[in-house]
Parts: sequence; structure tokens; C-alpha cells
Amino acid sequence: MARGENQESQTGNVPAASAAAGPKPASSAAGKGAEGQSVVRRLQSELMALMMGGDPGVSAFPDGDNIFNWVGTIAGSAGTAYEGTSYRLALAFTAEYPYKPPKVRFDTPCFHPNVDTHGNICLDILQDKWSSAYDVRTILLSIQSLLGEPNNDSPLNTQAAALWANQEEFRKMVEKLYKPAA
Amino acid sequence: MEQDDADGSLDSWARFCSLSNELLGGDGDLSVGPRLAPVVADLCTRGLATLVRDYFLHSLEETFRNNAVKKFWQHFHPYCNASPVDRIKFCVKEHWPEEILSGALEDICLEKSYQEKCVLVLVHALQSYEDRTPKRKFKAVDCSSSLMPRYQLMVSSVLLTTLPLSFPEILNVYFKKKLEELNIIMAGSYESDQLGNHELFESSNTSDWHSGMDIDGQDVSESSCLVKNIGKVVRDLRCLGFTSMTEDAYSSAIIWLLKSKVYELAGDDYRVPVLGSVKKWIQAVPLQFLHALLTYLGDSVDYDSGSSGLKSPLASRPSSFPGIGVPSEALVRWHMRLEYFAYETLQDLRIGKLFEIIVDYPESSPAIEDLKLCLEYTGQHSKLVDSFISSLRYRLLTAGASTNDILHQYVSTIKALRTIDPTGVFLEAVGEPIRDYLRGRKDTIKCIVTMLTDGSGGNASGTGNAGDNLLEELNRDAENQENADYDNHANIDEKQAWLNSESWEPDPVEADPLKGSRNRRKVDILGLMVSIIGSKDQLVNEYRVMLAEKLLNKSDFEIDSDIRTLELLKIHFGESSMQKCEIMLNDLIDSKRTNSNIKTSLLKTSQTVAGQEEAEISHDVLDATIISSNFWPPIQTEDLVVPASVDQLLSDYAKRFHQIKTPRKLLWKKNLGTVKLELEFEGRSMQFTVAPVHAAIIMRFQEKSSWTSKTLATEIGIPMDSLNRRISFWTSKGVLTESAGPDADDHTFTVVDSMSDVNKNSIANERLAEYQMTEEEGESSVASVEEQLKKEMTVYEKFIIGMLINFGSMSLDRIHNTLKMFCIAEPSYDKSLQQLQSFLSGLVVDEKLETRDGLYLLKR
Repeated sequence: MARGENQESQTGNVPAASAAAGPKPASSAAGKGAEGQSVVRRLQSELMALMMGGDPGVSAFPDGDNIFNWVGTIAGSAGTAYEGTSYRLALAFTAEYPYKPPKVRFDTPCFHPNVDTHGNICLDILQDKWSSAYDVRTILLSIQSLLGEPNNDSPLNTQAAALWANQEEFRKMVEKLYKPAA
Repeated sequence: MEQDDADGSLDSWARFCSLSNELLGGDGDLSVGPRLAPVVADLCTRGLATLVRDYFLHSLEETFRNNAVKKFWQHFHPYCNASPVDRIKFCVKEHWPEEILSGALEDICLEKSYQEKCVLVLVHALQSYEDRTPKRKFKAVDCSSSLMPRYQLMVSSVLLTTLPLSFPEILNVYFKKKLEELNIIMAGSYESDQLGNHELFESSNTSDWHSGMDIDGQDVSESSCLVKNIGKVVRDLRCLGFTSMTEDAYSSAIIWLLKSKVYELAGDDYRVPVLGSVKKWIQAVPLQFLHALLTYLGDSVDYDSGSSGLKSPLASRPSSFPGIGVPSEALVRWHMRLEYFAYETLQDLRIGKLFEIIVDYPESSPAIEDLKLCLEYTGQHSKLVDSFISSLRYRLLTAGASTNDILHQYVSTIKALRTIDPTGVFLEAVGEPIRDYLRGRKDTIKCIVTMLTDGSGGNASGTGNAGDNLLEELNRDAENQENADYDNHANIDEKQAWLNSESWEPDPVEADPLKGSRNRRKVDILGLMVSIIGSKDQLVNEYRVMLAEKLLNKSDFEIDSDIRTLELLKIHFGESSMQKCEIMLNDLIDSKRTNSNIKTSLLKTSQTVAGQEEAEISHDVLDATIISSNFWPPIQTEDLVVPASVDQLLSDYAKRFHQIKTPRKLLWKKNLGTVKLELEFEGRSMQFTVAPVHAAIIMRFQEKSSWTSKTLATEIGIPMDSLNRRISFWTSKGVLTESAGPDADDHTFTVVDSMSDVNKNSIANERLAEYQMTEEEGESSVASVEEQLKKEMTVYEKFIIGMLINFGSMSLDRIHNTLKMFCIAEPSYDKSLQQLQSFLSGLVVDEKLETRDGLYLLKR
């Protein structure tokens, strides 16, 4: 439990950090020139691959005119408590991408042991286990599978973690708190 | 003394009364005059002058009202009391208002002139008194000099107060009839003048009307007599105080006549200019009439007298009319007024029919010229724009009109309005709805390109006339360009520049300031056409497809006309955009050369092994069109197994090509091209020009006279359904017959050999054959632009769906911009908003997307 709190405080810093870093990517990209350009190119090719790949249930697209901010969509997998739902995500890439992970959070409120009320996600590959081999597609697929297989050992939402054992009740809570994106 | 005085005055008053009654009641007997004078003088000395005058006037009024006026109106009673229907009967009578009117007027004027004489008698009496008593002049002067005007006023007021409502109508009818009569007389003399004495008319500017007309003595006397009659009536009416009513009546009659004349001359014939003859007519008839009338009435005596100082600016125009000499100011005003009215009438008439006029544009250009002149005069361009747009909306921009027709009408409109308004301001306003409408049509580009390239004007029914041909427009454009180039060199001298700036004119008021100045608004038909499509690239692309289709179906290498068209297009659209098309044409030229080269060398080799290949087909019959496929639009391919002998021929040819053109290799598109073949049956032979597939099918029947469709399809290497479609060509020609085969979907085809069968079949299938042929024509060897576009767009479909998943719903603009921004890898997004829109609506039709409130979203 103490560990869980620790986790929470640790990840609780993340939104502040990401908020501070928010406007940074664009300016650093512009400042660094060639390096920023390579990030842009990488993101573009990822976009192309994602569009052409056509993985069912996951999708993402740059938001507005800034290719560093993406909007993602994942559908709850069949056979899980999340079946029939669709969650919107916000992905913010930095100029260090792919050497640093993007900040990812839920835009749609999500009742899940590893997602807090602000939408912050506790997922190892988005933190210490990040590798530059990952890309948008793998991030999205990981989050999709996280929905069905939460890590109840380090919950951000203790209520959800406690309720997980009772799938029927859990499903009800998911539905109750689910607000589909427009 | 006072009593005496009073008695004396009473006595003389009584005498005055009886004398004046005698005077007024008498029939033209003025002999009482001398007796009246002393009585009047006596009364005047008693200071009763005003009383005398008033009494006299009053009794005049009584008499006038009771006798003359009553009688006068009685003449018109039958008409006034008649119902509207009966009134028409009156109007039809030959001499109707004329006889009554002139009779009545004569009577009343006689009466009036008699009364005037009576008034003069009194005036005289008063004056003689005044002369004798100069010191008391002030009072009497009043009486004597005001008597006459007062009398006139009395007369007109009596008449006007008793006026029946329909009297102006009668006057109107009278003048109309008279004018018509005059018109007929004048028209005769006018025409003969036109024929015989035109020169004289021109040269006799200074001679007056009568001498000008003396040549046709009879006509002149007739018409002048008529004018005299009218003049008399007018004068009588004037003297009764109907001046303004009369003027109204005859001017409205003139205007009415002018209007009917304009209608008669203009009518529905747009092939002759009418403005000139209308103008001539105005001078010949109404103006001559007015001149005669004004002269008769003595109104126009004042020419070039003091009144010239007061000339209105309208009349400042130096004008002299044939046969009239120096016109009076009134006449000049009339002239301006009538001409303006004629312009306006003609303009309204033409504007109302502008749609029809433009439909037969090149023939109707005289009408357009007329309209132009009218509009220059009246300045009512906006009327034209409004009315024309509404008739366009109603008559042209409907689902029933074919795109070709709309385009032709558009071209004619451009040409016609270019004449009327070279600045293009009104064209812009008028063209906008047409362009908007055409953008919504799918076949617009195709039609434009056909119009561009096709000599016949692109009209399928062949009725397109030369004036519509865009190719011609291209030609002219090219010439203009040359001229312009030349101008640019010559233009340097300042004189020309000065002349240009001198001829500058401001934009018409109606010009939309947002749409730029006239410099940018060059009226250029091709430019306007391209602006319908959106970009010239689309047009060029469509042209490329069409050219490819045309070239691939050519069996000879005659491409001179295509080269010419291409050169013209190059001038207009630039070399670089036409590059691919140029390569296509070069391919054809190269093909011709390579073809003859290969054939002669193949022939030589075949001769060396002569005798061996007797049954084989000679290479002579083979013509290859060798294309650089990178530069051609995507070509439809279909697998096809051609008969072995032909295949051998083709591979020989390809081998030889490789030898000559190493490292290049020839890959045959066996399904393209044409085959000329002759079928020989027992006792007859038939010739066909068909597609290779058809030839391949029929060749199989050389080996075996009967095939089932399944085996035939596998032999030839095409799918069953496509075989069935193709083979029906031969059955429709009566070459093959179809019968049920072993399976339900497997049919047996057999060659028809006997003549009678053929006849029967061919008759039965005649209708079918036509249908088949049209279907056959619809099969194209090149992927159409729409198909290409669709293929290209499918790449973006995934992007569009991807963004819609994440953003929910998006507007067309946003999708367009997002694609532009993120779809930059190969193939990068380069489509126009319209193309995207049509693609999206395709997706909507396919039920992949839906639209709500102008936003696109995924269909769930």
C-alpha cells in the first residue's frame, strides 16, 4: 500500500512535468532544426504505417497542425469489462522522441486500477521500461491490453483495484463512469 | 339729385342688360355695338365698370354653358355612355372620332369666336370711355384689358368642369388613328425616298420639309393635308384650353406608334440590325409630323432667335434633320425624347429575349450590336444582368439540359456579352451561376475537353456550329498571343502608351470592387472554362486520357490534327504541363518509323525461309503502337491468349524490336488495338474491324465449328462472364448461334454456315446489334480520369478514416487541410477541395461515412 502511494506520488509529478514540457517540444524542435526535423519525419512515417497497418481497435492522428500532439483512440477488447467502449487518449511527443517516451494520458474518464482520475496512466513502458523500439502503435496496443490486464500491485485507483475481483460490479462501474467521446 | 342719379343708373343698367342680351343672343349681329358704347360709358362714369364687366362675363358664361358646351359634349355622349365593349366598336369605325371631333370643335369654336367678338365690342366700348377720361384711367384699364383673359379662363374652366371622363381617351384614339394614317402615307414616301431620292435627301439638309417632299407631289399634298387637319384640331383644342391634354394625347399616341413600330421592326428576328431603321423611321415619320404640326401652330417660329440662349444641355447636340433644316428647340427635345424611348423599348425587348438571342448567337449578332448601342444610351445594364440570370436559372440550369448545351450556351454568352461589355463586368455577374452549376456536373471536364479537341464542336448530334468551337478559340488565342508579342516590342514608343491611357475608361458602376480591376478581368473564354474546372491540371489530365484513348484506337499513324491541337494547348497551358501528351504523340511517330523498320527486316528474314511458312500470316498485316507506358495514363489490361500463329507473329516482332532497340523490350498489351478480319463462309464473306478479344474468339472457330463457353474461356484465358459478353457480338452479327450446353451456365456456340439462317438471325438481332455496338464503344482501353482519381484517393481513404476515428466529426475544409499537412509522404496529397468533396460523397454513397450538419463522420 505504501508502495502504491509512493507510485502515486511519483506519477503525480508527471502531469506537472508534462504541463511544463508541453510547449517545449515545438520550440525545441524549431530550435534544433535538423534533429527536430528527424523527429517530425519519424512521426510522419509512424502515422503512415499506422494508417496503412489498419490495426483494429487502435488509432491515432496528429491533433491540429502540430505533429507533436496526437489524439489516440482505443477500443475495449472483446471479452473484457471494457468491451464496447472507446477511449480517447492524448499523446504528447518531445523533441527527444523516440529516445524519451511520449506523455500519454486518457482524455475520456476511465475507471481502471492503473489510471487516476486525471487520466494519468501507470504503465512501465511509458516510464522506466521505455525503449526507442516502441512506437505509437505499440504504445496504443499496450494500453489496450492494459485495460484487460491491469497491474493491481501498483494501483493509481485503489477503488478500482479493489473492485477488480468482482468483474460484474467492475463492469457496472466502468459503464457508469464511461462518457463516450463526441 | 341722388334719387335722380339712382334712377339714371338703374335706367342705363336696364338698357345695358337688354343690349348685352341682344348682343349675345343675336346671331352674329354686332350692330348693337355702337348703341352699347354710350350706355357703358354712362355706367362707367357712375363707377359701375366692374359690375358691367362681371355681368357681361356672367351672361357670356350662361350662354356658353347652355348652348355651346352642352352641344359640344352631346357629340361625345354616345361614346361616353357606351360600355367598354361598345367603345371598341366605336374605335373600329373608320371616321369615328375624326368627324365628330372636328365637327364639334368647329361648332364650339364658331360660337367662341362670336363670343370673342362680343367681348371685343365691350372692350372697345370700355376703351373708348377710357380714352375720353384719362384721369380715371386706372380703374377702366383694369376692366378692358383683363376682360379677354378672363373670358378665356372662363371658357376653359367651364369646359374642364363639365369634361366627361372619357374625353382624353377620345383624343388619344383620334391621334392614334391619325398617326397611323400618316405613318402609312409617310412610309410609302419614305420608302420611295429610300429607293430613289436618298442622295437628294442627304444633300438637301437645309431645305425645308415641304421642298424636301415635293418630289412626291401626291403624297406630300395628302400628308400635308392630313397634318393640316390635325393641326386644326390641335389648334381648336388649344384655344379651348385643352393645351396640356392635347399634348399628352398626341405624345402618348406618338410613343405608342413608336413602340409598335419598334416591335414590328424588331420582332423575333435577330439577324438584322433594327436600330438604324428605327432611327430613320423616327426622323421620317414622327419628327416630320411634329415639325409640320409645330410649324402649323406657329410654335417653331422662334428658332435661332433669343431663345437659343436658354437652350438646355440636352439640346446642345448639333443636329440637323434631313428635310427639316435647322430644327427648333422643341423639335430637338422631341427627337431626344423619342430616341431615348426607342432605345429603351428595343433594349427591353431584346433583354427579354436575350436567352433566345444568345442561343443563335453568331447569327444573332446584329441584335447584340443593337442591344449594345441601346445600353450605351440608357445605361440599364443591371436590368440585363438580372433578367438574364433569372432566365438562365429557369431555362438552362436545369437537370434536363445536357452539359454540352450548357457549355455551348456559356460560350455564346461569353462571346455575346463580350461584345456588349468589353470590360467583362456583367459577364462576371452572369457567368457566376453557370459556372457554379457546371461545377456540380460530373461530365463537365470531359465535355470541355471534347469541345477543345473535337473539330465538330464536341456536340454529339453534330449540330455544333463553328462559332462554338473552342478549338477555334485556341487558334485565335494563339494569333492574339503572337500579336501581343509583337505589340510588346512596338509598344515602347510613348505615343502608344499615351493613346492607351487616353482610351482609359472607368469601370462601370456595377463593377464589384472585390473582383479586381479591368486589367485582371480579361475576357478569355478558355480561361473562363478552366476556371469552371478549378485547375488546368485536371483539364490537361482529362485531355491526356482522351488523347490516349484516341491514339490507341488509331489503326494508322495519322496524328497531324492531334499534333496541331497539342501545339495550341501548349501555347495556352505551357510546355511543361503538356509534356506527357507530347511524349505520347512522339510515341506514335516513333512507332510508325520503328514499325516499318521492323517489318522490312522481318520480311527479309521470312523470305530467306520462304515456302516454309505459307500458312502463316505475313508480318505485313501487323502494325504496332509502341508506347512509353510511364507517360501514358494507366492502361486497362486483361489477359488474353491469342491464337498461336498470331502469338508467333507478335513474339517475332518483339524479338526483332529487342534486337534493334536493345536494351529495350517490347511488352504486348494483347487486349488493345484493333483487328481487321474477313470471315469466309460457303459462298459469302464478311469483313469486320473488331477488338482483339473478338478476333481471338472467332479464330478458335477455325479449328472447331462448335465450342462450349467454358472451354472457350479457358482457351482464350478470359473469365466466363467477359467471354459471354464478348461472344454476343458474334451472335448478334449472325456468325455464331448459341444453344443450351451441358450445364445451365455453359452454352454451346456454333458457326452459322448457311445463308438463310444468317439472314433470319441478323434481322432478329438487328436491334440487339445496335445495342451491342454502343456497349462495345463504351468499353475503353484507358482508365478514365474518375477511375484514376478514385484509385489515387483510396490511399487517402485510410487517412480520412483514421482522423475521423480520432476526431469524431470534421468539416470538409478541416479534412482537406489535415490531409495536406500530414499526408506528405509518397503519395503526397495534391487534390483540390472539389476532388476531395466528390471523393467523400462517394464514400458516403458507399456507406462508409455519413454527413451531419456539413460535417463528415464515420458510419457506425
